[in-house]
Amino acid sequence: MAKLKFFDCNCSVGRVTHPHLYDIPDVKGLLEEMETAGIEEALVYHTLARDGYPPDGNSMLMDEIKGFKELHPAWVVMPHHTGEMPRPENLLPEMKQNNVKAVRVYPKLNFHSFSISEWCAGELLNALEEKRIPLILDLDTVSWDEVNTILKNHQQLPVITATCTYRNNRYIYPLLEKYDNLFIELSRFMGAGAIEDIVKRFGSRPLLFGTNMPQYTGTAALSLLTYADINEKDKQSIADTNLRNLLKEVWK
Amino acid sequence: MTEYFERIHEGLPITDVEIIDLHAHLGPERVMHVPANDPGSMVKTMDLCGINKTVVSTTSGINVDIVLGNNLMLKAIRAHRGRIYGACFVNGHYPELSLDELQRCFAEDKDVIMIKIHPYSTSCNMKDKRMKKIYEYASDRKLVVLVHTWLDGDQYGNLDIFADVVKDYPDIKWIMGHSGGPYGSYHAVKLTQEVENIFLDTAVSMCPARQIEYFVAEVGSERIIFGTDNPFLDPRPQIGRVGLADISHQDRVNIFSANARRLIDF
Repeated sequence: MAKLKFFDCNCSVGRVTHPHLYDIPDVKGLLEEMETAGIEEALVYHTLARDGYPPDGNSMLMDEIKGFKELHPAWVVMPHHTGEMPRPENLLPEMKQNNVKAVRVYPKLNFHSFSISEWCAGELLNALEEKRIPLILDLDTVSWDEVNTILKNHQQLPVITATCTYRNNRYIYPLLEKYDNLFIELSRFMGAGAIEDIVKRFGSRPLLFGTNMPQYTGTAALSLLTYADINEKDKQSIADTNLRNLLKEVWK
Repeated sequence: MTEYFERIHEGLPITDVEIIDLHAHLGPERVMHVPANDPGSMVKTMDLCGINKTVVSTTSGINVDIVLGNNLMLKAIRAHRGRIYGACFVNGHYPELSLDELQRCFAEDKDVIMIKIHPYSTSCNMKDKRMKKIYEYASDRKLVVLVHTWLDGDQYGNLDIFADVVKDYPDIKWIMGHSGGPYGSYHAVKLTQEVENIFLDTAVSMCPARQIEYFVAEVGSERIIFGTDNPFLDPRPQIGRVGLADISHQDRVNIFSANARRLIDF
């Protein structure tokens, strides 16, 4: 078997207040982690955009990853109502200009403190859906009922659940039965035999390789996939192709 | 790039080093769907990545009934002799029954080789007086006791509680399950440096970057055992974590199995 090519959909740069262990705040540290694991490319957001102020973090991200072809920007966004974030008709051209092809949101009180429901985030979700821009959700900030509503109301919007844990199959399976636009990131999807079971029931298309580097090591999610008892084509799809295919559809 | 980089990337099992998993379970689980939870599926998963032996306690024992759980453990040992070994599960809320179970299980099958306690799931504090006879049983026989530990948020088995108990039983070989969890590395290492008879465990779902390297640098690879939490967690991520860590080959051998063999006569 040839070495798989890996495109990680869940990486960050920037410092965090409570590191798991080491302080790995910059691009250099992330690239070292990628090299240790053998991961070629990554979709990256800035921790300042998540834990601080999104506009500042997005701007810092662009500065820090400039010139690194293997790193692709994912912005953290919010609805526009307070004026902190441009209206969608202005935000998306700015994203296009910066080659940003995926976004993350952190709704919920005491995260970014907005509602992901239609009355608050509807215009943003509509705009993202129209341009097929993947929406990455951190499951610490949205409920499964909210995920269901987004999937139902925006069926052309690719929704990626990051940090989806090994405890979530009973939520995921009914959603995968209903919707084609749900994608599962693998960094914490570690129940025994989970990859094989998803592939058997739903195919490899809903699974996206992710690691949460540099907070986590990339080596764990990597060997979870390389040792999976599925065919090589499905492995490569999960490792790289599924994400690449999603990003190809953006702006069309 | 480590000596196992290509092998792991190619999905080939590690075959030149024995791998012994001292932290595993068995069976379906209340809080989650586990696709590969039966003994046969577990052994198949072990074969895919090169794990030779595993030591299990059962989810039924941890969550419900220690007798039922230990019976399932004994059945799995018999069905997969030489691949599956047993950790007798005990619960301080049932002190007499726990002692009976220890005597029964260790007498019934030579491949019952450890004791497992889970203070959090049983809601029984490690310092509860009813645990004393269990510890004495283990201490008299110099057994290995695997304890589920977490840095904080666990009023029954956090690292402070764990520290208080282990110091009183120097003849027990204590495995600090999960090494105190994903945020516990610093405190787990500090405790391991202070107390001789503690071993760190690799099993964790949130795998901090460079944690294996940190453990090796701070306490030495002789104090780390290979655990996976299979099937609660898939064991395969731990192969990558140890196999691709920036440590020496001898460190990897120690973690994968040499330390386990020093602790237990398989």
